Amino acid sequence: MDATIRVRNWKGLRHELLLLAVLAGEILYFNAVGSRFGTLDNLFDILRHSTEIGLLAVVMTPIILTGGIDLSVGSLLGLCAILFGKMWRDGGLPPLTAAVCTLLFGAMAGALNGGLITVLRLPPLIVTLGTYSLFRGLAEAITHGADTFTNFPASFLCLGQENRFGIPVQAFALILVAAGVWLMVHRTTFGRSFRAIGFAPEGARYAGLPVDRRVAFSYILAGFVSALAAVIYTARLGQAKADAGTGYELYAITAVVLGGTSIFGGSGSVHGTLLGVAAIAVLSNGLVHAHQPREVAGMLTGVLLLLALCGGVIPKLVAFLRARSRHPN
Amino acid sequence: MKRLLILSAVLAFAVGCSKSPKPSHNEEGAGKKLTIALMPKSKGNGYFISCKQGADEAARELGVDLLFDGPTDPDPARQNEIIENWSTLGVDVIAVACENKEGISTALRKARQKGIKVVTYDSDSTTDVRDFFVNQATPQGIGNTLMDEAARLTGEEGEFAIITASLTAANMNEWRKNIEARLAEKYPRMKLVATKPCDDLKDKAQSETTSLLSAYPNLKLVMAICTPAVPGAAEAVKQAGKSGAVKVIGLGLPSENRKYVKEDVTQSVILWKTIDLGYLTIHAANALGSGTLKPGAATYKAGRLGDVEIAGDNILLGKPFIFNKENIDQFDF
Repeated sequence: MDATIRVRNWKGLRHELLLLAVLAGEILYFNAVGSRFGTLDNLFDILRHSTEIGLLAVVMTPIILTGGIDLSVGSLLGLCAILFGKMWRDGGLPPLTAAVCTLLFGAMAGALNGGLITVLRLPPLIVTLGTYSLFRGLAEAITHGADTFTNFPASFLCLGQENRFGIPVQAFALILVAAGVWLMVHRTTFGRSFRAIGFAPEGARYAGLPVDRRVAFSYILAGFVSALAAVIYTARLGQAKADAGTGYELYAITAVVLGGTSIFGGSGSVHGTLLGVAAIAVLSNGLVHAHQPREVAGMLTGVLLLLALCGGVIPKLVAFLRARSRHPN
Repeated sequence: MKRLLILSAVLAFAVGCSKSPKPSHNEEGAGKKLTIALMPKSKGNGYFISCKQGADEAARELGVDLLFDGPTDPDPARQNEIIENWSTLGVDVIAVACENKEGISTALRKARQKGIKVVTYDSDSTTDVRDFFVNQATPQGIGNTLMDEAARLTGEEGEFAIITASLTAANMNEWRKNIEARLAEKYPRMKLVATKPCDDLKDKAQSETTSLLSAYPNLKLVMAICTPAVPGAAEAVKQAGKSGAVKVIGLGLPSENRKYVKEDVTQSVILWKTIDLGYLTIHAANALGSGTLKPGAATYKAGRLGDVEIAGDNILLGKPFIFNKENIDQFDF
């Protein structure tokens, strides 16, 4: 028992250190080959381009910790962007009011996921696969796939395009959400319950944890933050279209898994996820500076992910072999 | 160990960020090699792959560095991200075919603020964020070529019908207006009997054509002005056994229509030479970047294409090209 815990801790730590080393390697390499990779401007480019996926990955982490998954976040981002545009342009609401309504809607959409999963006891994969199609379909139906919302006022666009206090405005949202979720998951008993639920849902129930409420909460949080990502996305591009955020759910899940969170739940960390997001974002940005085509980024991300997964198996294997050599039977 | 690693990562960042941006590309004298970045709407599209062939040719001729990159996934934010990366990278000219007119304009505006020249080709951005648009075909050029070709095939006489994508699509309505103007002006013995929308779907174009064939037994020609409608109309004519008796022409890709052209179901496919579009785009980008092409110019000499006309801030590729049985095998897009 003692040994397994030590292996687990060592594995968790080792994984994040490995990822940190990979990230440092990426930075050093791209800095050597790309003359402008290391500029502050470029650091801000990376931040701006990874904020939405970073937000989604951060809130995906508690969900995966409970052993669930949310495939609908990218589609919800698209739907929220459309609703935001619709409320602002056709509803005549000021951007701030429209944004608040969008956030509430996002939370409600998350509650739909959470409700179906906890009340009807349907598997998260199937429920969110359904809402994945539903949300995107709604966004396309509202716009007939053609309507685009644009010409937002400059006061709104600055959220996605300008700097405040020397850093991109949307970075504040990412920092706040990441810090909040990190504190919740790693520093409160409330947040620790996510891992307990993922590790042994029945055990958590017997231990008196309100499992359903916690699980539902994680999906509501994801919905809320997806809506926030939608507003930021709209400000960054200056347009809202039904195809906004296509495929983002997979990028978010990739970052979470790359960050060392077990896809079966129970173990993982928010800082690991952030490292995962950074490793992917730096890779995709750096390759442009190294004059490499985009498709290489996808390929290398895949290789990185597979290596990370294999890396997780090696300590277990080593421990197993050691145990066998010590007690041959 | 852990501290050391964290420290090294932080250091790596610090070393990176302390690097001051190099002086801007424009300040480095005229002798320097230009870097031109070319972006398609999507990377795997045959249309843009053949644009790139022409672009490579022009880049070799002019001795410029050509970067070619674009979205490989359907994320509409991707074009913006690559353009922002190019801006930071400090390329001299960006040439882009815009997928999202308004969305991409934000990124292009920022690039221009950094002193990067911008041209668009194939599909334009908003007009205030680029220097020139390399326009592959004017509505008038398309309308006239289609109508003239229809008249040639029917001996300037008889009924014809149009299949369009939708009755509201702005560019197609512009083309139809020009087709009808040409018809009224030059071909009094021809008659447009119907204009049907196909929702940009091949299947619907086929069924619409089938019903047109039975509703108008004297129909001499079907003119399909959206890409999927050309093979759709051809399939309907072929299945009705009227190949050759009812001619099919339209705006489309040679590759999608090759089969029907060879079977004599479709007589002419009209489009521009995409290789020339890429070639002209790089020539224009180079001239703009090196300062030989300035806003307000009326013509411009673009390598093997000779003098090209400039209308306002539109660089015109010239007349559309007609693909037919004789030449269609030379084009693989």
